[in-house]
Amino acid sequence: MGTRYFGRKLTGALITIVLIVLFNFFLFRMMPGSPERALARNPHIQASVLAETRARWGLDKPLFPDQFLAYVAATTQGDLGYSLKFEGQTVVDVLATHFWPTVILFGVGEVLAAIIGLALGAYTGWRRGGPIDLVGNAFSLILYSMPYFVIGMLLLVVFATGLRWFPTSGMLSLGASHASPIDVFVDFLAHFTLPVATVAIGLIGQYSILMRSSVIETLSEDYVTTARAKGLTDGRTLRSHVLPNALLPAVTLIAINLGYVVAGAITVEIVFNWPGLGTLTVDALSSRDYSVLQGSFLLLSITVVFANLAADFLYALLDPRVKA
Amino acid sequence: MRMSARARAARVLAGLALALSAVGPAAIPAAAAGPAILKLGTIENLRSLNPYQAAYFPDYETFQLNFSLLVDIGPKLEPYPAFADKWERSADGKSWKFHIRTGMKWSDGKPADSADACFSYGLVVDAINNDASVGNGYIDPALKDARVTKAECPDPETMLLFTDDGTTKVLKTSIPILPKHIYGKETYETIGDVDFKPPLVGTGQYQVTEYTADQVVHLVRNPNYWGKKGFADEIFIQIFKSADTMVQSLKRGDIDYARSVPVEQFKALEGEPNIKTVAGDLAGWVELGFNNYGTGTGKSIAGGGASTRALQDPAFRDALGYAIDKQALVDKVRGGFAEVGSTNVPPVMQNLEATPPFNWHKNPASPRTFDIAIAKQKLDAAGYVLNATGQRLDKEGKPISLHLVMPDSEPSYPQGAQFIQDWFTQVGIKVQSDVIEENSLYEIMLPPEADPPGTAKYDMFIWSWYETVEPNVLLQVFLCNQIGTSSDSLWCNPDYDKLYDQQNLAPDDQQRKKLIDQMQDLFYEQAPYHILYYDKQLDAYRTDKFAGWQNQPIDGGYPLFSYSAIDYQFLTDATAVQPTASPEPAASGQAPSGGPSASPAQTPAPTGTSSNSTLLIIVGVLAVLIIVVGGVVFSRRRSRALEDDE
Repeated sequence: MGTRYFGRKLTGALITIVLIVLFNFFLFRMMPGSPERALARNPHIQASVLAETRARWGLDKPLFPDQFLAYVAATTQGDLGYSLKFEGQTVVDVLATHFWPTVILFGVGEVLAAIIGLALGAYTGWRRGGPIDLVGNAFSLILYSMPYFVIGMLLLVVFATGLRWFPTSGMLSLGASHASPIDVFVDFLAHFTLPVATVAIGLIGQYSILMRSSVIETLSEDYVTTARAKGLTDGRTLRSHVLPNALLPAVTLIAINLGYVVAGAITVEIVFNWPGLGTLTVDALSSRDYSVLQGSFLLLSITVVFANLAADFLYALLDPRVKA
Repeated sequence: MRMSARARAARVLAGLALALSAVGPAAIPAAAAGPAILKLGTIENLRSLNPYQAAYFPDYETFQLNFSLLVDIGPKLEPYPAFADKWERSADGKSWKFHIRTGMKWSDGKPADSADACFSYGLVVDAINNDASVGNGYIDPALKDARVTKAECPDPETMLLFTDDGTTKVLKTSIPILPKHIYGKETYETIGDVDFKPPLVGTGQYQVTEYTADQVVHLVRNPNYWGKKGFADEIFIQIFKSADTMVQSLKRGDIDYARSVPVEQFKALEGEPNIKTVAGDLAGWVELGFNNYGTGTGKSIAGGGASTRALQDPAFRDALGYAIDKQALVDKVRGGFAEVGSTNVPPVMQNLEATPPFNWHKNPASPRTFDIAIAKQKLDAAGYVLNATGQRLDKEGKPISLHLVMPDSEPSYPQGAQFIQDWFTQVGIKVQSDVIEENSLYEIMLPPEADPPGTAKYDMFIWSWYETVEPNVLLQVFLCNQIGTSSDSLWCNPDYDKLYDQQNLAPDDQQRKKLIDQMQDLFYEQAPYHILYYDKQLDAYRTDKFAGWQNQPIDGGYPLFSYSAIDYQFLTDATAVQPTASPEPAASGQAPSGGPSASPAQTPAPTGTSSNSTLLIIVGVLAVLIIVVGGVVFSRRRSRALEDDE
C-alpha cells in the first residue's frame, strides 16, 4: 500500500519534469524579441552580421523539428548548451556560480524564519489573548504584508548607511586583503547578515500566522482535553499532543517554500546586489538568453517538484491517513 | 542536571549575541595602508571584454583603460596623443602620418610599435574593403566614414593612413590597438568572436585581471604605461542591479563613484559630506518620435503601420510640436537636469581641431514655442478639424487616436508621456500610452524591411539616442537606407540623404558644417521627431579618498565613463597635501608625458576576491548549520530522555 503510494507520487513527479523540459523550449521562444538583436545592442547592425550570429547560435534552423530535437537530445544527456550572453561559458557553469549564493541566502533565511516563525506562532496560539499574542500577531501581520524590497531597503538604510554596521552590497568586500580563511568567512557574514535577515523577516509572518491558527484549532480537539484530564503538564501537552498535530500544515508550507530556495527572492538579490539565480534569470530574460533561461527554469522546476514530493512523503509519514 | 527552558533560551540568545557581535562593525575589513583602490558603481551592464562586442558605456570604459587608441579624445574633446604621440596630414591631403610613441611596451613587456597599429587598423580596413563589419559593428563605421582605404607601416615608428576625406574624422575613431603578438592570427571575420579572457595585455593605464560576468571587473595598474600615472593602483567596476543600493554604497563609502544616479537621489546627495554631484552634457537626446512609414516612399504596411496617415504629413507633426512644453518636461520630469531639445545634433558636439573651432549644433531659426492655441490653429489650417465631440479627425474622416509606446528601461519616460497625453488631449487628440519591455519594443517597431520583417504597429514613441562626439552616427539614424536597421521613425527624405552624402564627402570641416546645418534645419522643419531634451548625465563621487576629479569635457562634462579613459590619470590622493589646486596637464591641453622612463613602475600585488572564497563560504555555512542542527537535536533528545525519566 505504502510502496504503491510512493511509486505513484514519484512517477507523477517524473512526468511533470519531462513535460516541463518540453514546455520550457517553446515558452521562451514565444516571447517577442530575439537574442541576436538584444545582445548586439547595435541598431546600426548589418543584416549580414545578424544572419551570421543566428547561424552561429543555431537559431537559423527551423524551430521545429531541428532546434527542438537538438534541444531534447542535448538535455537528456545533461548538456544544457552554451550561454548566449556569457560568451564561452556553458549554462551549467553559469548556473553553478549563481546557485550557491542563492541556496545559502534563501536556505538559511528559510530555516531561521521557520524556527522563529513557528515558535512565535506556537507561543501566541498557546497563550491566545495575552499581551505577547496581541503584539506578536500584529507584528506577524505587518511582516507578512511587507514586500522584501521595503524590508531590505529599510535594513540597508538603517544598518548599513545609517549605523554603518554592515556593508551595503555583494558577498565580499571588493579589494579587501583577507589574512586567513576566517577573515573571509567573517567578511562574508558581515555581507550576509542584512540579506538573510530580510529573507527571514519576510517569511516569519506567514509561518507565525499559520502556526498560531493551527495551534488554536488543535487546542479544541478532544485528545488535547483528554491529555489535560489525564493530568499532563501544560508543557507536556503542548509538546506531545498539540505541536505534532499543529505542525502538519506548516510542513506543507515549509516544503513549498523550500522549493523556491533556488528561485530565491529576486528583490532581495537586487537590493543587496547578491549574485544569485534570481537576478541571473531576470537578466537572461531581458537579453533573451534562451539557454540560460531553459536551464534556470529546469532547475527551478525540478526543485519545486521534488520539494512537493518530499512534502507528500513527509506528510504520509506523519499522517498515515493520506496514504489510503 | 536538567536545564530549564529559560536557561536554554538564554544560552541560545547569548550565542546569537556572540554571533552578531562577530559580524558587527569590527568585522568589516579596515582600509589598511595598501594599494589605492578606486571602486566605481554602475547600473549599466558590461557586455564583453572584447572591444568588438562593446555595446555599453562600461564596455568602452574597460577596453579604453586596457588598450590605447591611436589618437585619444582629450579633456576638451580634442584629438589627444595616445599610441601615436604626433600626427600630420600630407600636403595633398590624401594621407595621415602618425608617429608611434618611441620605446613603448605592452603590459607583458613585449615591445609595442607600428606593427601593432597596422595590424589593428588593418582588421577594420579589410572589413571596409570587403563591405563587412567587425564584431557587432559599433567601432568600424567611424573609419569607414573617414574613408580610410589603406594602412601602411614603413618603419616601427610610423603608420600611414590613406584617405580621400578632407575632414578630420580620421582622428575621432575608437579603434583599440591590440597586441599583434597575441591576436595576430585573427582576421576581421574572427576577431569579434575571440574570447578576451583576463588577464588582458594592453598598453593602456590599467589591465583587466579578473572579470565576473554581470558582477565586477578588476583592473590593476599597467607597470609599462607610457603616460601620467593616476593615484589609483587598482580599479573595480561593480555592476549594481539597483540604483538605490548604488547610492547607499556611495554614501557609506563602499564605492567612490556612482554613475547614472536617479534625479531624486541626485538632489538628495547634493550637500552630503564628502560627496560631489555632477550633471554633465550627454551627446544625445530624448525624443518623441513618430511612425512616419510611407513618408518619402509612399509605401504602406498591410495590417500594420501607424493608425492614421496624418503622421505622414509634416504639417500635422509640426502642429503637434506647439503642443509640447519642453521646458515643463525638463523641469518636472528631469528636475531641471537637461536642456530643451531642438535639432538632431546635440550642443555638446564641437569641432576644436578646425580653424576656427566651431559647434556642430545649430539652433533652429524659428523654434516652436508651447502654445495650445497655435497648435489648434495649425491643425485646423492643415485640414485636421474637430468633430462635434471635440475629437480631431484625419483627412479620411476618422478620429485621431494615437498609440504612444516607450521602453521600460527608463522611469522618466512614462512621466513625460502623462504630460504629452494631457497636452495632445487639449488639441483634440487622444493618446493611449504603453510601457513595453525593451526587447519586445524593438520587435514591435520593426518594419517590413527588417530581418526578420515586422509590421511597425505603433504611432509614437519616447526613446533616446546617445553616441560619441562625432555627429555622423546620429545623423545616419534618419537616412532612408536605415529603415529596417537603425531608423525608428521610418522617415525617408531624399533631400536629407543627399545632404548626408555631400557632408560626408565635404572637402573640409567648414564646408561640412554648412551642410550639417542644412540637415538640422530640414530635420527640425519636417519633424520626424520632436527632440524633447538633451539629457544630462547625473553622476556623484566621493572626495575623501581621491581628489583631482576632472570632467570631460572640462566645461560641462563629467569625470568617468565619458568619451575616453584619460581622466583616471588626473586622480590624486585626497588625504595628501595638494601643492596645486588643479591638474595642469589637462587644463593646459598638454600631452601626457611619454616614454616608459617617465616614472619607475610600482605594481602593487593585486588584491581581490579569490575564486576559492565561494567554496570556503559554502563549507563554513554548512558547518554552522550542522552544528546548530546537531545542537538542537542533541538538546531535544536529552530533554526527552529526562522527561521519560520523570
